[in-house]
Amino acid sequence: MLSFKAGRCNRRGETNWVDPTPTKGLITLETSAEDGLLHFSWKNRETGATDEDLILFPSEAAFVKVDSITGGRVFVLKFSSSDQRYFFWMQNADTSRDDYYVFNVNGLLEDPSFVPADPPAPVLSVASTSAAPAPAAPPAGPSQPSEEQLRLLRELVQSATASAGTAAGPDLALTDVITPQTLEPLFARPDLLHAIFPNLPADLPGERNADTLREVIQSSAFKASLRGLQQALSTGLLSNLVVSLGLPPEAGTGVGPFLRAISEQAQTSLEEAEGGDERMETD
Amino acid sequence: MSDESGWSLTESDPAVFTALLQSLGCSTLIVDDLWTLDDPELLASLQPIHALIFLFKWIGGGEEEEGGELKGGGRYDEDFPGFFAHQVVNNACATIAVLNGVFNVPSVPMGADLTMLREFSAGMDPLMSGYSITNSAPVRNAHNALSSTANSPFSIDPSLHDQNEKEDAYHFVVYVPVAGQLYELDGLRRAPVAHGGWEGGEGWLDVARRTIQKRIGSYPPGSLHFSLLAVRTDNLPGMEAQLGKARAAGEEGVASDLAARIYTEKSKRAQWEFENALRRHNHVGLIHSLLLGLAKAGGLDSAVGKARQKMSERREKAAKSGAAMEE
Repeated sequence: MLSFKAGRCNRRGETNWVDPTPTKGLITLETSAEDGLLHFSWKNRETGATDEDLILFPSEAAFVKVDSITGGRVFVLKFSSSDQRYFFWMQNADTSRDDYYVFNVNGLLEDPSFVPADPPAPVLSVASTSAAPAPAAPPAGPSQPSEEQLRLLRELVQSATASAGTAAGPDLALTDVITPQTLEPLFARPDLLHAIFPNLPADLPGERNADTLREVIQSSAFKASLRGLQQALSTGLLSNLVVSLGLPPEAGTGVGPFLRAISEQAQTSLEEAEGGDERMETD
Repeated sequence: MSDESGWSLTESDPAVFTALLQSLGCSTLIVDDLWTLDDPELLASLQPIHALIFLFKWIGGGEEEEGGELKGGGRYDEDFPGFFAHQVVNNACATIAVLNGVFNVPSVPMGADLTMLREFSAGMDPLMSGYSITNSAPVRNAHNALSSTANSPFSIDPSLHDQNEKEDAYHFVVYVPVAGQLYELDGLRRAPVAHGGWEGGEGWLDVARRTIQKRIGSYPPGSLHFSLLAVRTDNLPGMEAQLGKARAAGEEGVASDLAARIYTEKSKRAQWEFENALRRHNHVGLIHSLLLGLAKAGGLDSAVGKARQKMSERREKAAKSGAAMEE
């Protein structure tokens, strides 16, 4: 049996962005006496409830560090045969054990009869931002990541950097992203709507309100503009235009980068308003 | 995006046609949807109607016309005394049709550009008349002003447009009375088609109704998508004058009835103004601010997720129906 402190992260839709939740938790891997199968579970240390209990067959999944999230200790439980992903972040204040836990988890995921290696004694000084932690001693047992783990890791990196869409066509339509239904959270925020009205045509008759916006976004002219923007974005050549919107040039390289950059733009302005982000506690 | 001639794709919409004519100085004309020719009261309320525009899309295989026979009857009239222009550029087909109508209406006010164009093409054959319109910068500019693709900062592939709204997928035919006969002006036919005169209590509209119904009936049922537009004199000023008189004469019933009709008509024009303002607008800033606002409200990821789901559902559906067709 293997256990270590970890919190969960929520994935933002289908993107590769995750938001850690502060809830203290525990990941446990053990073979159940009942069914003889390996269970990967996450227990909520605050409520005591086991909120996640996954049965994993050998080589079905891998536990991999998410390298694109720099500075975070975020890991993903990724499946070889499906798109499911579970994201976690290490809550043990001592970062030097991370590699051991990951190594052991993957050992068990590949073969439940794997014997977890012992971690080294905890390092007394917690790793600070100025000094890198001391390198961990090599573990007992197999020292090379398995082929399976390498393959899964490669896939994860590829999917994190791939742009939206496949050779078969775009994987979303902007005309489905902007609809009266999807915009409901925005329509409920008069404070946010004020920034939008100045972008309407000056000669547009009628009042400036959410109902007008609903009409506008359903008009043929607006939808044609959305389709045009989508097509232009998929050429990857819109860097100049997006910069004029306050976005980084990379936002002009595709629909996915465009939407992600806007997400970031919103996050940045919200953080500026709040003056700092939530503290994630380790213990 | 325009084709090589510089004409952009527009929608075949009463709001677009009306704004086009008004911007070219035809201040008394509007173009309206005509839902039926069978309602005498409706027709009376829309009078005076100067021309009908019949736009249709035939969905079916094979040749539209067989053996040189004119679909819908009538006969070619090479000696047509009025104005007739061939359709030379696909994207311009709606504008050519509306001018084929308007240039055959006597004493209609029009701006200097249209007046010069009509004079210039007097005596020309239909092909040269078509080229004159196509090469007219004022007309082309008035046309493009109402094209949302022309007003966008991007060059857009026209195939992006809703199939149903694609102007060049529709065929335009104008029915207009000239010299006592109903004529059918089709920019893709070699000459105007005469459909005969009228007498007794009839008017040209009755002949037009029969002719159009015969035309519709000559296609297999359900294979024709069509629309009918009426080019008519704007009756709003007239109604408002009548309202003033009725009120002055204390005719409350008449006055309130007129007031209601005026209100309906004005609401329709406000709707047209709304749509046209959007056609002329560059929406990029609006799109960005909507997405940014949605992100700040915490709803962007969910919207993106739903959009992906819809797209994959569409693909599945398409794949299934494709498979079904193969069986």
